[in-house]
Amino acid sequence: MNSEEKFFATVRTALGQAADGERPAKLFPQLFASPDPRPALARIAARGPAELAELAETLLAAATENRITTYQVSSLAEAEAVVVELVRQTDPEFSHTRHLLCHDHPDIAGLRLWQRFSRESVAVHTSFSQDQQLREKTIAACIGITAPEIAIAETATLVEISGPGRPRSTSLVPSIHVALLRSEKLVADLEEAYALLGQRQQLDSFVFVTGPSKTADIEATLVHGAHGPCELHIILLSEPTLPGDTAHSAQPAESAKQREDTPESTAPPEAG
Amino acid sequence: MANTTVSLFIQCLVDSMFPEVGEAMVTLFDRLGIPCRFPPDQTCCGQPAFNSGYRREAADAARHFIAVFEDAEVIVCPSGSCVHMVRHAYPLLFADEPAMLARAEAVAARTFELSQYLVDQLGLVEVGASYHGTVTYHDSCHLSRGLGVIDQPRQLLKGVEGLTLIEMRDSDTCCGFGGTFSVNYPEISTAMVDTKIDNILASGAGAVVGCDISCLMNILGRLSRRGEPVQVLHLAQVLAGAGQGGGQ
Amino acid sequence: MNRPSQSNYTREAIKGIASTTLQTNLRSFQERLGQGAMRMWVELADPEKRRRVKASRMRTLDHLDIILASLAEKVRARGGRVYFAETAQDASDYILAVARKNQVKRVVKGKSMTSIEIGVDPVLEAAGIEVVETDLGEYIVQLAGEPPSHIIAPCIHLDRRQIGRLFADQLGIDYSEDPPTLTRAARHALREKLLSAEMGLTGCNLACAETGQISLVSNEGNIRMATTMPPVHVAVMGMERVVATMAEHRETLQLLTRGAVLQKISTYVSFVGGPADTPGETREFHLVIVDNGRSKILADPEFREVLACIRCGACLNICPVYGKIGGHAYASAYCGPIGAVVSPLLEGINKHADLCKGETLCGACKEVCPVENDLPRMLSALRHKLAYGSDQWDTRQMNPAEAFAFRLWRHLVTRPALYRAGLRLAALLQRPFIGKNRMISRMVGPAAGWTDSRDLPPIARQSFAARWRQKHPPTPDVAKKTAENSGEEKV
Ligand code: SF4
Repeated sequence: MNSEEKFFATVRTALGQAADGERPAKLFPQLFASPDPRPALARIAARGPAELAELAETLLAAATENRITTYQVSSLAEAEAVVVELVRQTDPEFSHTRHLLCHDHPDIAGLRLWQRFSRESVAVHTSFSQDQQLREKTIAACIGITAPEIAIAETATLVEISGPGRPRSTSLVPSIHVALLRSEKLVADLEEAYALLGQRQQLDSFVFVTGPSKTADIEATLVHGAHGPCELHIILLSEPTLPGDTAHSAQPAESAKQREDTPESTAPPEAG
Repeated sequence: MANTTVSLFIQCLVDSMFPEVGEAMVTLFDRLGIPCRFPPDQTCCGQPAFNSGYRREAADAARHFIAVFEDAEVIVCPSGSCVHMVRHAYPLLFADEPAMLARAEAVAARTFELSQYLVDQLGLVEVGASYHGTVTYHDSCHLSRGLGVIDQPRQLLKGVEGLTLIEMRDSDTCCGFGGTFSVNYPEISTAMVDTKIDNILASGAGAVVGCDISCLMNILGRLSRRGEPVQVLHLAQVLAGAGQGGGQ
Repeated sequence: MNRPSQSNYTREAIKGIASTTLQTNLRSFQERLGQGAMRMWVELADPEKRRRVKASRMRTLDHLDIILASLAEKVRARGGRVYFAETAQDASDYILAVARKNQVKRVVKGKSMTSIEIGVDPVLEAAGIEVVETDLGEYIVQLAGEPPSHIIAPCIHLDRRQIGRLFADQLGIDYSEDPPTLTRAARHALREKLLSAEMGLTGCNLACAETGQISLVSNEGNIRMATTMPPVHVAVMGMERVVATMAEHRETLQLLTRGAVLQKISTYVSFVGGPADTPGETREFHLVIVDNGRSKILADPEFREVLACIRCGACLNICPVYGKIGGHAYASAYCGPIGAVVSPLLEGINKHADLCKGETLCGACKEVCPVENDLPRMLSALRHKLAYGSDQWDTRQMNPAEAFAFRLWRHLVTRPALYRAGLRLAALLQRPFIGKNRMISRMVGPAAGWTDSRDLPPIARQSFAARWRQKHPPTPDVAKKTAENSGEEKV
């Protein structure tokens, strides 16, 4: 009997089972049964612009409570302006030049930041999965930009799902984390977020991010900027579908998903 | 209900050290016209042994208690922790003895703490008492958390003519008695009762009232050592007082 | 009933009570978090949630073999490795072997009580590996050379001046007592360690069998760093820290962050289960699942419930004893009410007898616990083991003198006449001790523990029973029943 078998034998004995009587998971389906996610998914799918606008309000309020800076924009161009302004105000914490690290995502590519900064001493990097210098770029970056797949309105929580081109460290290592969030990505609460996560086949590593990093270990005094970002900025993008629509009107979540899944032929060149 | 004969279950500490509390209960019941009797063979519910882990000894005390009180219509006690013992520990002690368990549960179902009996069973909140002064109320752990009796004593106190109830901070935090804990870990116990006393003093009340003499003895002992003039009263003493001034 | 005045528990407790820093910090901490949690449970929109989570915790424990097997299978499918460690030694040996194989020179740690329980730090250090705590509070106590004293606030016993001096001495920065400045200093010092370490070593708040991931909760971001930036990530978890499904995970997580710090969610909740997809991030993941005495707890129906604990620390934030003595008195990886139950079970009931006895059983911990763990019941059960000894738990009778005293007590309380006579005798014996204020201010023997700081009301000259009998002379019917009760005092 190897050590793992022995471990399990001990556990089974403790539970009053035969030491060698392995209990296969498939004989206990009720253990792994979950409540039906369909009602939550249906709720998400059925949300129209008005409901999304409500969720946006909730998110903005919760963001303030969690020390998150928010911006409401209705186009990528406006989002771009926000980022540019932010970059210009930022003093790099860990390097001399201002390095920006962007997730490999069409919306972020759509900001065309490498063009905006081509004549300034700002280095714009994209986290391409094949880049062998990515770690160094990440460590040097003062701003990391992501485009979260899901965000929870109730608590202003971003769900950052990592994968090729979207490393875990972009929302963590740079001093400032900027999230470009489409309002269609909003869900009401944790339950809905879990329902969406449950739909993904092989769940990557992911993280719920609610506010900048913080600590209260010294005399319970709250200080922001412990080991992660000192600041978190959410740029909430609500694109009107038709001219004349309100800023909050948005495309249904389904079409947003499709757009993301298109091949990223528009990815920007690496700027430095 | 009010003419049901109450069997007095006088906690051993009340019997031996604070008999006036038991007498106050009798005075109160007499005034309310509640007939009562005192089964003379009662001793101790077994709590000290149980809390120290001596379950065999506690079980024997419980057997004795059950034998003494088994024929009682209703059992009323001026101590939340003893009632808690009967209600929640007896079933545990006799978990493997079905016959005893049934007897224990039958007795437990008829055992009440004083304020619980008056308010929940008899629906009384005004008992014709008067007390002129301010009091603050200490929630004993086994009464408040164990039996869920929180409002009943307060309702009764508010029904006392001339009495003003001032809530202290953290009234439901343990006073640090804990039975043998108070003797085995006196430094911790004292630090706890000091906080309790600081809260009592900060309330500005002239007296502290409680429903469990163990806590009150702890508070009284430390108040006396610190030389603080606050009075310590059992709820029964306040409720027994009719037309008397504070401090009776 | 000997006074264990020389015990380590009492000694450390006295130190804690004497520390004004600790007292101030604990007090404000408990007021904010402990009482806050109590209020929160009352206001919880879905009051059934606590019961549901408790039920799912117990169901998981009842099927732990199945759920752990499926967790391991899923983690392996993601490219992670899983090691099942029967003992603390096995776990430490494995972690050291992983470190050696990867030529690790520096390990960065995320706060992990299980790692303290298995004692892996000294093992790594003995092999010449630098071990750095990266949670700010843990880092501070590590610099101070002290153990942590609270699950979520490890340096609650230190004030800003002490921390300022420590940083000035150890980090070579200018003295400051400004928390943001101190935090920034630690941020920079630790960033260097976090980015240069070859191994991250963390605990695990909750593993999820359905997805094959572990989840880690933090506010600082150090745990995300330690699980992302070093090439190797090792997570140690007690074998009970697992849930079956994501649905259970969600509800358990919600109770965890609420119980711990009243947050609906903490700043970071990360889910990892295998190597990262990106070059330059963690490329090896090891999950070490530790028994180390838990199977023994699992096997005992009286104690299985304690494994439902989700280590939120809420019970520390409400316990009036912990609130006075702080964490060091518990002399174990786990302090407060949960430590008082789990440490004796993991490390020996006799060894931690003071933890079993040193509470008042006030019940606040049970009320505040998100999964309503009945810690007072289990403390009482532990005392039961100490009262008579227990083969199952390798426990000796703790105090034969006390056992004798309770046997004597039984003799009295089951014999009313003898009991009454005993009371009268005690009343006589106490007389010389009664002072002018009708109080006893000095006793000898065990009762000295009381009178060292408190007066003791004397036994009354006439008991209630005696007074009653005087007013209600026995009717023939009652007289028969009390025939043996003849020695009643008549004063
Ligand atoms: S026993 Fe309950 S309150 Fe204490 S740490 Fe565990 S889960 Fe939290």
